[in-house]
Amino acid sequence: MSTPISSFLVVSALLFSIGTMGVLVRKNALVIFMSVELQLNAVNLALVAFSRLHGNLNGQVLAFFSMVVAAAEVVVGLAIIVTVYRRRQSASVDDFTVLRG
Amino acid sequence: MLDAIWLIPLLPLAGAAVNLFLGKRLGKAAGWLAAGLVAAGFVVAVAALFDLLSLPADQRVHVVDAFDWISVGSFSVDVAFRADPLSMTMTLVVTGVGALIHMYAIGYMEHDPRFGTFFAYMNLFVFFMLMLVLADNYLLLYLGWEGVGLCSYLLIGFWFDRPAASSAAKKAFVTTRIGDALMLLGIVLIWVNLGSLDFDAVFGKAAGGLTQGAATAISLLLLAGAVGKSAQLPLHVWLPDAMEGPTPVSALIHAATMVTAGVYLVVRSHVLFELSGTALTVVMVVGLVSALYAALASIGQFDLKRALAYSTMSQIGFMFFAAGMRFYTGAMLLLVCHAFYKALLFLTAGNVLHGLHDEQDMRRMGGLREDMPVSTVWFAIGALSLAGIPPLAGFFAKDQIVSFAATSDRDLAWVLASFGAFLSALYIARPLFLTFFGRRRNEQHAHEAPALMQAPLAVLAFLAVFAGLVLGFTAEGGRLAGFLEPALGRAEFGEAAVSEGVLMAISIVLALAAVAIAFWVWASGRVDWEAFPQRQPELAGWLSNAFYLNQLYAWLVQHPGKGFGRALTVVDDRVIDAAVNEVAEEVGDASHLAPLIQRGYVRSYALAFLLGAAALLLFLGLRA
Repeated sequence: MSTPISSFLVVSALLFSIGTMGVLVRKNALVIFMSVELQLNAVNLALVAFSRLHGNLNGQVLAFFSMVVAAAEVVVGLAIIVTVYRRRQSASVDDFTVLRG
Repeated sequence: MLDAIWLIPLLPLAGAAVNLFLGKRLGKAAGWLAAGLVAAGFVVAVAALFDLLSLPADQRVHVVDAFDWISVGSFSVDVAFRADPLSMTMTLVVTGVGALIHMYAIGYMEHDPRFGTFFAYMNLFVFFMLMLVLADNYLLLYLGWEGVGLCSYLLIGFWFDRPAASSAAKKAFVTTRIGDALMLLGIVLIWVNLGSLDFDAVFGKAAGGLTQGAATAISLLLLAGAVGKSAQLPLHVWLPDAMEGPTPVSALIHAATMVTAGVYLVVRSHVLFELSGTALTVVMVVGLVSALYAALASIGQFDLKRALAYSTMSQIGFMFFAAGMRFYTGAMLLLVCHAFYKALLFLTAGNVLHGLHDEQDMRRMGGLREDMPVSTVWFAIGALSLAGIPPLAGFFAKDQIVSFAATSDRDLAWVLASFGAFLSALYIARPLFLTFFGRRRNEQHAHEAPALMQAPLAVLAFLAVFAGLVLGFTAEGGRLAGFLEPALGRAEFGEAAVSEGVLMAISIVLALAAVAIAFWVWASGRVDWEAFPQRQPELAGWLSNAFYLNQLYAWLVQHPGKGFGRALTVVDDRVIDAAVNEVAEEVGDASHLAPLIQRGYVRSYALAFLLGAAALLLFLGLRA
């Protein structure tokens, strides 16, 4: 007897919500970044769960894609954060409000 | 050589291309190249002439079809050149006189910094002029027609840093454009009515395919173009101003060749004009009125070149007059002779300008025969030839036209034409005496022109003396008339009330009287002509301002045009610009709202993003 699909989706939704709250309320850029990763992985979980439900590999393939893209994104994102920190001695996104109208 | 007539226009085109791009590096060679290529064209034309003469008289038409130019549906026009007596006459004049003037210009333009460009334009002009006269259909003729207009513009405004020159160039271009636009309508009408633009097809079909009304409309529209190009009333105002250009330009374009294109067009299209009848009468009247008008205006001018310009207009008026009487061979004889003696007169005037450092006012000349004996001889030959003193060229040409009016029962026209001939002798003897004879009114020593400039003048003077004897000894049996007969037919002479000898005697007496009067007034020192404008300000004003037609046009066209322009400026400022500025201002004001939601906090953007995505999902979910 396998676990029902709804359990996976509930976990996925929970993880996604935690990630979203993290992005919205945290100030530290690194933490926001981790929250984004949390969201991505929540979606990956949902994809794999749907893949099993439908009995094909499409969802799993897509999950791999998103992992690869996420890895690349982390590389770029971390580099930016480190560079900004070097220049501004701060990792708080609330300090970075130069691009305002 | 008849198959090689396409070479004649192509040679000067090549010269124009070379001089346009390499003129600066070639230095003086640019001028020799240009003159040499036009002369080479002349040689080809002479060879073609002999080939044409070797054909039987009724087969002297040779068409060289170079390539398809335009072919759309049933409309098809070729680039085709036509060698027949009429086009060969024009070609020989254009290349022959053109080559001489080019040669003269090498000396005249010597010190000009844009020497190469000048010869590029001159060669380009000769190319277009040859396209005009050698074309075998109306559209190709029109191409040449517009091309010479362009070159006329470029060369009148050659010294464009002078405001007078650049505005004269614009005036010439715009004024002739009025005629050109009407002429294009005429060409369109020809195609609509006859379905072809080739000369042979048009003239062949015209008799059966054109109603008299259509023929009149076409002829009058073509005449409008001719009137503009040939500076006849009412589109003549540009020609006197065109004298702002360098003198060789005045000689080549505004005396010998381009301004006679209108005469060529009328003569070439004589089948259409004859079909209409009315149009021929209009041609005659326009010519006669222009001849008299310009003759009177010329007498009022003190600028040497402007006096010559009005005399050109008057002479072309005589050509139109002759063509209007169906005396085409007479018109062509005058065209050829006029090209010789008027080019001679203009170039000699160039010598004077050259010698006096661009002094053009005859009131500050006088007595130049001591300084410039050779130029005096040239000018005297040209002037006496134009005046109609036998046996010089102008006598034969003009006398035949005047007496033709008498022999064809046009007594009033004969009287007016005789008066015009008298005036023409008067107006050309006047600059001769004012410039070279009488009291010296200028202290500076005028240096005589160099040999390079005198040589072409010697040739032109020779032609101005003998062209009439050789080409047109009698109106019926002259060589030119005989040569042109296959193309233009034979002029029909009637019986005059008096014998031809009497008519000729009247012409000679009138011409001699005019020259004598001119001598008495302007050279003998017994008449105080300088005080004339003070004593008769009204008459002097009418003459020197050419009956105020320029001012009338300014009042009718220029001032309303300027007013309209000013009104449009107001519309532009108050309506169009105002609307655009208002929109820009509103957008600027609205842009102050945007920063309220653009605070730079990543969090707020992320929230907006989330809410948006949620709203979108909700919307899609509810719709499903």
